Order: sequence, then structure tokens, then C-alpha cells
Amino acid sequence: MEPGSEVRLRVAQCFRTLSSSTDHGDIIDALKTLNSYLNDGAESRTTSAEREEFRRSHYSRTLRVLVGQLQADWMHSLSAAQLSQVWDPLFLKGPPDQALLVLMEAVSELSPSTGLDRLVCITERFLQSGHLADLLWSFCLQPAPSGSPQLRETLLARLTSLPDITANKLHPNNRALFVPQRYYPLLALEMLAALERTCQALRGGTDCSSTFVAQTLGKVCVQGHSGPVLAVMAPRLAVCTRSDMVWQRVCWKLLENVPERWMESVLTGLVQAVKSPDAFSRIVGNLVLTNKKAHFVLTHKVLLLQYKYETPVLRTLLGYLASDSDRRPLLIQVVRSVSQAWANPSAVKHTPLEQQLYVSKTLLLTVSLLTDSELQELRSDLLQCMLGGMQSHLDSSVVRIRTMGMVVGECLSSRMEINGTKLKFEYKQNEETRELLSLMTPSMCTEPEPEPADGAEFAEETREPSTHRSTSQSRPASQRSKSDPDSDLDSDDDLTPYDMSGDQEMSRASPPRYLRDCLETLISSEDSERVELSLRVAESLVRRNVFAAKEISVQMTKVLLHMEDKYSIDGFLALRQAAMVALTVIDSVPVTQYLTTEFYSLNYSLRQRLDILEVLALAAQELSKPASDKTTPSTSTTSELTSYQTNNPADWRQVVDKRIQSKTKLISKGSTQPVTKAAPNRYAPVAGYFFFPLLRNYDKPEVTFDLLGSDQLVLGRLIHTLGLFMHLAVNAPIAAQMGAALLDFLWAVRYHADQMVRRGVLFAVCSVFLSVPSQSLLVDLSEQLFETRTWLADVAEGDPDADCRSLAVQSLVLLDKSLKKQLQDPTALSLES
Amino acid sequence: MSRPAPCPIYTLRGAGAPLNTLHFRCPGGDTPLLFSGSAKGAIHIWNLNSRRAEMVVEGHCGNSVIWVSTLRSGDSLMSQGRDMQVCLWDLKEGRSEAVDSVWTGSVGFCQCSLLETSPSNYLLAFAGSQTEEIKIIEMPSKNPVSTLIPDTKLGMVMCIKLWKSDSGLGPLLFAGYEDGSLLLWDVTQRSELSHVKAHPEPIMCLTFDPRHLRGVSGSCEKKLSSWMLDNQNNIQLQDCVMLVNPGVSQLRIRDDSRLLASAGWDHRVRVFSWKKLQPLAVLQYHTDMVLSLAFSDHQDPRQRLLAAGSKDQRISLWSIYNERADTG
Repeated sequence: MEPGSEVRLRVAQCFRTLSSSTDHGDIIDALKTLNSYLNDGAESRTTSAEREEFRRSHYSRTLRVLVGQLQADWMHSLSAAQLSQVWDPLFLKGPPDQALLVLMEAVSELSPSTGLDRLVCITERFLQSGHLADLLWSFCLQPAPSGSPQLRETLLARLTSLPDITANKLHPNNRALFVPQRYYPLLALEMLAALERTCQALRGGTDCSSTFVAQTLGKVCVQGHSGPVLAVMAPRLAVCTRSDMVWQRVCWKLLENVPERWMESVLTGLVQAVKSPDAFSRIVGNLVLTNKKAHFVLTHKVLLLQYKYETPVLRTLLGYLASDSDRRPLLIQVVRSVSQAWANPSAVKHTPLEQQLYVSKTLLLTVSLLTDSELQELRSDLLQCMLGGMQSHLDSSVVRIRTMGMVVGECLSSRMEINGTKLKFEYKQNEETRELLSLMTPSMCTEPEPEPADGAEFAEETREPSTHRSTSQSRPASQRSKSDPDSDLDSDDDLTPYDMSGDQEMSRASPPRYLRDCLETLISSEDSERVELSLRVAESLVRRNVFAAKEISVQMTKVLLHMEDKYSIDGFLALRQAAMVALTVIDSVPVTQYLTTEFYSLNYSLRQRLDILEVLALAAQELSKPASDKTTPSTSTTSELTSYQTNNPADWRQVVDKRIQSKTKLISKGSTQPVTKAAPNRYAPVAGYFFFPLLRNYDKPEVTFDLLGSDQLVLGRLIHTLGLFMHLAVNAPIAAQMGAALLDFLWAVRYHADQMVRRGVLFAVCSVFLSVPSQSLLVDLSEQLFETRTWLADVAEGDPDADCRSLAVQSLVLLDKSLKKQLQDPTALSLES
Repeated sequence: MSRPAPCPIYTLRGAGAPLNTLHFRCPGGDTPLLFSGSAKGAIHIWNLNSRRAEMVVEGHCGNSVIWVSTLRSGDSLMSQGRDMQVCLWDLKEGRSEAVDSVWTGSVGFCQCSLLETSPSNYLLAFAGSQTEEIKIIEMPSKNPVSTLIPDTKLGMVMCIKLWKSDSGLGPLLFAGYEDGSLLLWDVTQRSELSHVKAHPEPIMCLTFDPRHLRGVSGSCEKKLSSWMLDNQNNIQLQDCVMLVNPGVSQLRIRDDSRLLASAGWDHRVRVFSWKKLQPLAVLQYHTDMVLSLAFSDHQDPRQRLLAAGSKDQRISLWSIYNERADTG
């Protein structure tokens, strides 16, 4: 009899015994017989041909039979020791791929029972004892692996989704080993082990294939587990490839073999996990040149289409491109495309700010990596990019974009050295600009990677900083003793200075005491000191003499509006603004009439128009507040004139109050705050004067002022101010009319290209929904509401600016709330009917 | 946060005229006294315990008193007036009579400088009748010691300071002139030891710390100029201290060489650390120019006072940086 049929006969006999016998002895014998096909030892009773045959064609079936018999009586009657001797090894000693398939199949099919628990235990042991590495290794060895492609595919699926299968079945009694946080690092270690064996085999002259490992890696990554897997693999690979050429080749081969559809997730994961460009370069090799997908991902997608990666990732990637002469042309290509993207005016307008920041960072990093000769070659491209890009950035109404443009322009110009000249801008330093500037200096991130095998190096490293520290500590001490030879003399250190903020310049002239004098000085005086003093007291004079102020309010507003800072007075703008606000508050109707007319007239600078808007907004705010605090003049202007009053009266009052409180026993604490007095809203009657004239002429372009054209800055402010007026007019009778007019006006500019304008529009819409009574919202504005809703939904979904999106969502919420309130209110409905 | 600016501990009013000069005498057992010279020729003697004027000495025929001082020994008071007289007063047992007087001939505002060489003898330096002339006489014998006239035209003498160094040289004298020059004279040799141009404008005041050989001078500009004396008795200009408002009428260093105070034309007294010239405090009380300053000579350092006399006819008294503990 040939070995094949003999094996089949004996296996079939065993199966019969297992399914029908009730005798323990028979069963154990059968199991032992099956085990004997798996034991390779010298004492084995079977020949190697028989074992081979069993493994190839009977093993899966054997396991299935065993799984099918899990509920059989003999399973319960066998002792635990017996089971672990004859039952468990059948799963653990056979070919791991078949075992895994059967186990996974069984786990997903069985319902919770002791049998399932048994299988889960076996699976756990299977994972713990390194069978995954055996499995992967078995696929590395055989150039033409056993089984059909479908089988491979299934195995791959089971291998990568083991946590999902177990979680679906076992929840909430899942094993710790099966959760993704534990399983995927384990899988990564097993892959590393398989690769290690591959390396050894290659050194021994055996051919190996890393296709299956590559497929596993790709599939795991594409399922979103690239983080944990590569966090384990990347550092190890980086260390191994440092000196070992075989490892390098294995790595390159591995990545080449990753199927194209999974390539992107592997590469992006890897570039994030690796710490330095060198390591990335060692692991990936010249893949970017040979693989189309890798080329697209690394030179285009990561840089220009996505913007989620951190700066170190960009550094790694661009450093990788720059580090090899073969890849250098790609860097040039990247510079070209990135600089085009940066300079694209439409991109500046329509892409999110975060992406622009990302592109700017990329541009600076690439430029810092270029050599001088390459710069020469790219000069014209870069110059064009710089000039065009700067223009579109500086045109933007968003401060961050402007700053970004300035920083990038400065860096580019300093790198290119155009005739030795450099651009220099004045901008406020913040975290962002500092980061951008720091990108121009080449990173020193070539820090030695930790060598896990070599502990001595580590110890040395940790010891070194401490010695550094001690020397650096000793140095300043010696310096100090050198610089102060007479430190034994009493030093000044214990003389702590008093507050010296009161020490200011003396002015010779005295401030004007009458409003008319003040106005006269502002109009005609050439004496800088008197002008300054007049300006400083203007606000308090206006507020103190309401009647006098009313007589000259318009004239004084005119003077202030046209006033220039001829003498560079400290705080000029704030003083002028405060005085104008005071005038507007005191005498609202004529002054607002004057200001709103002037807003649309010829021959004003943008600054003046913005001033008008600011003054109106502040005045409206002040009017809408309760009037109790209207008579307190601003104290800052008078403090320096009273030299007798050396300490602040507020201070002693606080001290006295505190003392009284500490000495007083409070039986019960009443309301400590004074009751707010009810006061008439001073804004409600005049709201219309603030609001409607500004809506009148917006679409009438003047020679010097084109609100709907290039003067979008003013338009944004105008809309914002109108929104503010609307907001402050809550509870005013006129609010409904204002809301209707404002919505009408906004309709024309709702899709304005500038994001500041769009933000203003959305703010104004919010304020309409907040201020207009919900009833009139439903009755008067019903036909507009529907369209507004659709528009808001559109903005909330698709606007490139994050602020706009959130504002749109907010207005939708407000609208819904208001409508719901109205519809649920039965009295309102009855009123309507 | 820094402490709020200090307030005066009390003020003395009733002098009825701008106070050109102040002088403390606070001996151990006796009542502490403050002498003030007013622009109307009155010398007030203030009792610092009762805080009242104990006595008013009218001298100098109603002419402005520009300098008062006392001798270490006894109850003698010296005063200099714009009537070109330096008078010596006997104040024993409530008397107030001029016992002696010296005619100076100076029409300027230069204050005298006094140096006690022995318990009975002392040197008095004052501006003479000629423009640049400084005279030093020995008192009480009134023997002229020397007359110092510089070789070049420097304008009027603005301020002088007579002192004696530890190195055994004869008495030395610093003099500030109208053109901003600062000269160091050897009194006995009648020779110029050093000459620097410390200010572009007239030197209004100067003071010198013989212990550290450092001095400071003020002018009608916005800065104080500090200088020191090297081993060869050369004046070396050091860094300046900038002030917020221009004009200094008097500078004083406290006896323990820790504080420098300046009387400003901007109504404020500024206090600096003497060692590093760090600004420490700005004393705001007066409503007109501060003309004079004095640190008291209390033996207990905790009682030390700073007095400031102003054109607004008041004297303010301040107690600052008196204890190491309270300054920490």
C-alpha cells in the first residue's frame, strides 16, 4: 500500500473513533495517532513521507473534526492534563496557516460555550508562542506557496483582522492579547522576526520571497493600523539597515513588494514613524524613482494635497529627497511645484489657512535644502514665485496670511541674495513666525539613534550632559566673582525699587478748561504741547459739559475726524476715538448723521472710514449699556496732573473694606452687589440713525472708494459694524425692520471672495437671528428664511475658512432655536391665526 | 510687583518763602534739629520732635539765605546770604546773635563749603568777587589760605566741595563752573589737578563721596554725570544717569554711601542706589521746584530722614531705605 492511502485509512479510522466511540482508551489512542503525524522526533512511529502527506492533505480536516467534536462527551470526560497532552498539540504543532484558518473560522462560527473558550485559549497560545512568525516565514520560504490565491487572500484577511473577529465574537470578554493595541505590535514583531530569518537565509544562500510579509504590512496599514505597527518596526529597521547591506536589500524588496493599492498608507505611516531622513532613506531606498505610486505619494500628495503632517515629517521626507544625487531632480521638481502652489493667488483665497501654512513650511524647507548652484538654476522660478506670491499674500485681509507672506518673502530673498539686498518686514513675532523662520536653518535632527543592542553608548550619553551641566554652572560663578571685585561692599540688591510709573514728563502748559478753548486749540494751534493736552482732556470736557458739547458736537467731530497725528502724540488714535465716541454718545442724532454721510463721501482715506465705523460701533455699545456709569470720566488722563494725590484712592478703599470685612461677623450673606437700577435704553430710539444711512450708498462706486470692488477691507468692517448695531438693537422696536433690511443687504455679498467679508456676513446673520423677535422672523422674513437656510447649510459644509464654517453652523442653530420657540408657542400661533 | 511710591512722613510748613538750603543736626541726646534757609532771609530752626519752628533767625537783611551749616562743636550756626556775607551765629541758651561775619564779595549763588580740620579750626571755601575766583580762608582766624583762579575763562563758579583725602595730601576742592567744566584743585599748592568738561551746560550742583572717590554732578539737562578719581587724582567721567525731566538743583549722598538723592526742577526728588546708580524711587509731593535736600545725621540708622525743601515753601520729610529688613 502506498503511504498516501495508508495515511488516509488510518486518519479516517481515527475520525470514526472520535465521532462514535465512548471508550476513553480508544479516543486517546486515536488522538495519539494523529499526534504522531506531527511529531518529528526520532522516536516517531511515522515516516517523513507519511508526515508530509498528513500535513498537506489531512491536517485541516483533522482540526475541523476536532472542532466539530468539541461538544462530544469525551471532551468533557478527559482531564485537563490529558487534553493538553494530546488535544492542544494538534493545533500548535501543525502547519500554522491551516491552524489559524481553522481557528478563526471556528471562533467566528461557534456560539459562546466552553468549547469556544477552549479555542480562544488555544488561539491565545498560538499567538504567544510565535507561530505567526512561523506562518510568515513559511510563506517567505516557498517561492510557489501552497494553496490557491484565494486561500492566501483569506489567510491575509484573517491575519490582519484578527482583533475585529475576536472582538465581534467575544465582546465583552475579549482577551487582552486580541485588542489592537497589543495585537498589532505583536504582529509587527513577528514580521520583523520573519524578516530576520529571511536575512539569515539570504546570507546562507537560500532564496526567499518577502511578498507575503509585504502584503501583510500593506493590508495592516491600509486598515489604519500603520501607527502601532510601524512604531515597532521603523526604529528596528532603521538600526538594522545602518550597517547591514542584506537588511537594506530586504527592506527595499519588502517595500517594492507592497501592492500598489496599499503603498500609500505604508509610506505615509513610515515617513511619520521614522525619525530622520537618513533612516528613511536607508529603509526605502530609491523606491520613489522606481515606483509610480510612491513617486506620486511622496512628491505630490503628501506635500500638496494633504496638510495634516507635522513639520518633522516634512523634514524627513524632503531630507530624503535631497540626500541622494539620483533623487535630487525630484527635489527640484518639488521646489517648482510647491513654489507654484504657494504663489497661486486663487489658492491663497480659496484654500484653508492651515494648508497655506503647510505649503509655506514645505517651501521654506525645500529652499533651505537647495545648494547654491541649484538656486541659480531655479532663480527665475523662485523670483517669480516670490513676487507673485508675496503680492497675493499681502493682499489678503487675514493677518496670519499676510504675516506668512512676509516671513516667506524675507526668507526667500535672504536665501537668493538678489544683488545683496534683502526684504525686511515689520511683523509681530509669534510662535508661528518663529517656527517658519527656524525652518531656514538646517535641522540638527541627526541625533544618534538609540542602539538598543548597545547599552554602553546609552550610558555614556546620559553621563555626558551632567558633566556639561557642572562645567556650565561653574563658569558663570567664576565670571561673577571676576566682574565684581568689590562684592564684599554692600550691594544694591537689597534696595528694591519703588513703583516709579508716576515719573513722567512734565508739561509746561495747562490743559484747557473750556470746551471751546479745547476746540480752538485743536483747530488752529501749532503748539504741540497744547494740542496734546487739549486732545487728552477733550473726552472728559465733552462728557462734563453736555450742553456746551451739544452746541459744537458736529463741528468738533469734523475737526477730530480730519485731525492728523502731526506731533506723534502718545496714544493719539485712542484719544481721538474716545473724544469722538463721547461726542456721538452725547449728541447722537446730528453726529451720526454727519458721520454716516461722510462715510460714503469723497476724499477720505480708508483709515478715516474705518475710524468712522469704529466710533459708531463704540458709541452704539456705550449707548446700549445701562446709563448709570455715564458720568465717570476716564481716569487715566488725569492721573498725571494730580501730583498731590500720591496713592490711589481705590487702594485705600479696598484696604478699609477688607479690614471691615475681616472684623465683621456675617450672620447671613445677603446680596453683596448693589441692585442694578433700571434705566431706559438710550440706544433703542436712535438705532435707526446709526444703521440705515450706512446701507444707503454701498453699491455706488466713487472714484476713491469702491466698496464692492477693491475696498473689501472696509466692506468687511462695515458689515461687521452693521451686525453689531443689529445685535445691540435687541428688544428695540425697530429691530424687525433693521433685520429685514440687513438680510436684504447681505444677500448681495453672501458669496464674497474675501473671507473677512464672509465672516462679517455670517456674524451679521447671527445677530439678525439673535435680535429680531422670533415672531417677526417667521412672519416678515419667511420668504427669505428658506433661502438663507440653504445658503447657510452650503457654507457650513463647503467654506474653506474654518471660522466661516463654525459661524454658519452657529447661525443655523440660532435660527432653528428661534423658529422652534415660535412654533411651539401656542399663544403666538393663535395670534397668527 | 513693586511697592507703591512712598509718601512723606510729615511736612513742615510756614517758612513763607522758597527754601534754598537745609541742614540737619541730630546729636545723640539732644532734640533733633533741622535748619532751613529761605529766600526771604529767614533761618528757621525746626524741632523735629514737636515738628514746629523753634526759632527763626533773621539775618542778612532780608536777602536770600543760600547756605546754612553747623559746626561739629558747640552751638554755632553758619549761614551765607545774598548780601555777600557769611555769618557765624551763636545759638547757645536761646540766643541768636551774629558773632562774626565774613564778606565774600560774590554775587552768584555758589554755596560755601566747610571743612573742619581740627576741633577749633576749620576751612571755609567760597566764591570770590571776581568771576572765576574761589577763596579759602582759615577760621576763626580769617587768615586767607589761598585764592584759586583757573588759567582759562570758565565762567562763574557754580558749586564747590572742599574735602581732604586719606592719602595725606592737603585739602582738595572740586569746583563746577558755568561752562560745564569740573576742576579738582589742590588748595595748598594752588594748582589744578584735573580738568574735565562734565556737562555742556553750567554745573548746578555736585557732590562727592570721599570713601569711594566717586562723585556726581547735575546740570540743567536731563542727565546726571558721574565720575571718579583715579590714583593720579585725575577725574574720569563715568556713565550718565538719564532723568525724565531736565534740571537738578541739589545732589546728596547719604552718609552710609548707599543712596543718592537728587532735587529736581520737575518737583520730584529722585533716589538712586549710589553704587550702581539704579533708580529706586521718585518722591512726589511738591508742587514746585525742589531746591534743597539733606540727609539727616541720626546716629540710629533707623531714624534717618531725607528732607526736601521746595519753592512751594514746604519742607517734606521722608523715611526710606532705613532698614535692611524693610527693604528686602
